[in-house]
Amino acid sequence: MDLSELSARCIHCGLCLESCPTYVLTHDETKSPRGRIHLARSALEGRFDYGEEMAAAIDTCLGCRACETACPSGVRYGSILELVRERMESRRPRRALKAFTGALTHRPLLHLQLAGSRFLPSGRVPGLLSRALAGGAAEADLPRPQTAGSWPPLRQEELPPIRGEVFLLDGCVMEPLFARVHEATTRLLQRCGFRVRRTGALCCGALHAHSGYLTDARKRALRLAQALEGGTPLVTNSAGCGSTIKDYRELDPALGELAARARDLTEFLVEHGFEERLRESRGLRVRATYHDACHLAHGQGIRSQPRRLLEAVTGLELVTLNESDMCCGSAGTYNLTQPAMARRLLERKWRNIEATGAEAVVLANPGCHAWIEQGSREKAGRAKVYHIAEMLEASFAGRLP
Amino acid sequence: MARVVEALRANLGSDAVLAGPAVERVYECDAYTVEKRPPLCVVLPESTEQVQSVVRICRQHGVPYAARGAGTGLSGGATVAGVVLSTRRMNRILRIDAENRMAVVQPGATNLQVTRAAEPHGLFFAPDPSSQHVSTIGGNIAENAGGPHTLKYGVTANHVLEVEMVLPNGEVARLGSKVPEAPGLHPLALVVGSEGTLGVVTEATLRLLPKPQCVRTALAFFAEPRDAVRAVSEMIAIGVVPLALEFLDSTFMRVVSESFGLDFPPAARAFLLMEFDGTEESTAEELSAASDVCGRCGVVELQIARDEAERASLWYARKNAVGGLGRIAPSKVTHDGSIPRSKLPEALARIEEIAERQGVLVANLAHAGDGNLHPCMPLDDRDPEQVARMHRAADEIMRLCVEMGGSITGEHGVGLEKLPFMRLMFSADDLDFQRRLVQAFEGFELCNPGKLLPEAGA
Repeated sequence: MDLSELSARCIHCGLCLESCPTYVLTHDETKSPRGRIHLARSALEGRFDYGEEMAAAIDTCLGCRACETACPSGVRYGSILELVRERMESRRPRRALKAFTGALTHRPLLHLQLAGSRFLPSGRVPGLLSRALAGGAAEADLPRPQTAGSWPPLRQEELPPIRGEVFLLDGCVMEPLFARVHEATTRLLQRCGFRVRRTGALCCGALHAHSGYLTDARKRALRLAQALEGGTPLVTNSAGCGSTIKDYRELDPALGELAARARDLTEFLVEHGFEERLRESRGLRVRATYHDACHLAHGQGIRSQPRRLLEAVTGLELVTLNESDMCCGSAGTYNLTQPAMARRLLERKWRNIEATGAEAVVLANPGCHAWIEQGSREKAGRAKVYHIAEMLEASFAGRLP
Repeated sequence: MARVVEALRANLGSDAVLAGPAVERVYECDAYTVEKRPPLCVVLPESTEQVQSVVRICRQHGVPYAARGAGTGLSGGATVAGVVLSTRRMNRILRIDAENRMAVVQPGATNLQVTRAAEPHGLFFAPDPSSQHVSTIGGNIAENAGGPHTLKYGVTANHVLEVEMVLPNGEVARLGSKVPEAPGLHPLALVVGSEGTLGVVTEATLRLLPKPQCVRTALAFFAEPRDAVRAVSEMIAIGVVPLALEFLDSTFMRVVSESFGLDFPPAARAFLLMEFDGTEESTAEELSAASDVCGRCGVVELQIARDEAERASLWYARKNAVGGLGRIAPSKVTHDGSIPRSKLPEALARIEEIAERQGVLVANLAHAGDGNLHPCMPLDDRDPEQVARMHRAADEIMRLCVEMGGSITGEHGVGLEKLPFMRLMFSADDLDFQRRLVQAFEGFELCNPGKLLPEAGA
């Protein structure tokens, strides 16, 4: 469907308003889903243009897609946003963002940046980069890579007979920054009876797609599809990658096969009866709460699976997080391009986390992970942040990493 | 005109005033999209004093203004070519007085926010428009909003005890009282449903009700709308007063089943959602009596919600039914009229004739218990021919409602949409009397002008 058809589905009822984090913070309807769609429609009708005002409305959008969950008409807002951003890009190229997205999704470059960043005096994203991306001071800290090898060796006798093979999407950010999560994910899939193959330094194009670089995204996705022979499930532990890959069927029919075999880790584990295995694990004594990553809850409709897995862990008390599916502000590169709004959302998320009294916040997406962890560090908070793979794997070890 | 924007900025701060091409587009209409009027600016006051300043500045500059909550109104009540006064930053629940079952709230709080705040005290706010999770108390009061549960509990007017408002002359007034039966005339009764023409409500004291011990929900399918309507009338005749009786016609059933993946019996051409509240025993008795009635009226299938999740899914389908029309067409007009409930089958048949004659699609839903009917017309509002056909069909439907002894609006208000139809219901004298009431508040000139009442002699 093109932009005209996609935006025509919106009947302007306004039932999305309260689901939109930027509307809830500003109460400005030009920063609401209905308002943004109205502007896109007006531009198609020649009553508005892709100038600064469109930029202000569209750049502030998190792309969290909470409005899709709220929408009774089935408007595919995420697709509308990508197409509008693509049009914006041809009129107002964001060169810094494009270069940065490229650098973030280029494995050797990212390693180089991470190595270099250790020599920076503050832990923050450098001012020069922040000014280029956001026109002001940075809010986000530089990412701190996890150390690998923190799990005890996995003994063969712990594993069930092999019943199949899966690919694990290495991803651009997950592998260099969240090595421990990848390790945990691999071990869980093995415990589920699957041989795990890694995809290596192939990028799925999610960050490109969200910023409107759709041609780039398509190219990367096609490369990924070609590299992975058909049929084998592709498991992701990054919500943003997973939802983008699943939505690729809309972007290009040639990507339908890839889209059809993408599975989020939690979805895959529940489909393969992993709750049983978890019940037999040693368990954990921990009060935990679960944060819904936007691209899992709103993008893929995955809400119950992670909760079911956590509830299967003996001794784990899962407490409800207020506004659990409201964006934390990380949103891909949003905390770099819109630091002020992202900061307000992080503060709100952290207040809700503190109110639960939990010792652990569990989530399933690298962006939220780094950003909420920064909140935990800054507030010297009681709650530590874990990817769900770490939490579930820890249940077998009997203690948290 | 630019001077009023400057004056507002100087007084309220630039963060509270939005202006520019994007604002002109986004705020040019509410959920009634057929008529668009770009505003000069939007102001977001945070206190009664700031609302006073806005009203006074608009008066000084002779600029019209209209209050707007979430902009979910369906008749264009918040559309104004002037200053949009958004109440959304005045969104606090100021107090829950559980002992006296009252809530004191600001106008920009959402309807659901009130019920959520009342819940820990075992209380709730009864009016429940389908937009309740976004629509605001200010908007609910302006439009005298209803909802599925008004059959038993009444409309917003029955649940507002007192309001503080800024009058069109800029003064603050308190109307109504927190205790029942204050002497004298009841100006508050005029304010609820006045569509923002008498002033801007800045605080409201609302009546809360105790949450019922038990709620039971059932869904009955009938082969013909008239069977469903007969069941409704018989239920009420034997003294069963359900909390809600929601009717959907076959077009809406198709939209809902496709949109929300629900399976309905193939023979069904009418959907009746019934809900009962009270004690365990009373609701069981009522449900059983209602089931008997449905059986006598030739019910095709009766589904009873077994738990809260099933109940929620039945209501989800009903509350989002209108939104589901977006899957058929780019826009829709949700019409609103009321008729004596016994005439519902006849009205539906005649609306079908009208739809055929005018070449439009009409999907009907109704709060069947009180005869409030919503004929909805999906259309492409960018096509003038389709808009013209919609208007012709709407005109005939409104005439039909009046002819059957009903009204041109049940709960959505007159706004811009129904203005031409007011003369179908009221004589010149009636309208003149209403105009004089508005004048008693010194309204009309600038305070949401061109709404509610057609101009004299026009």
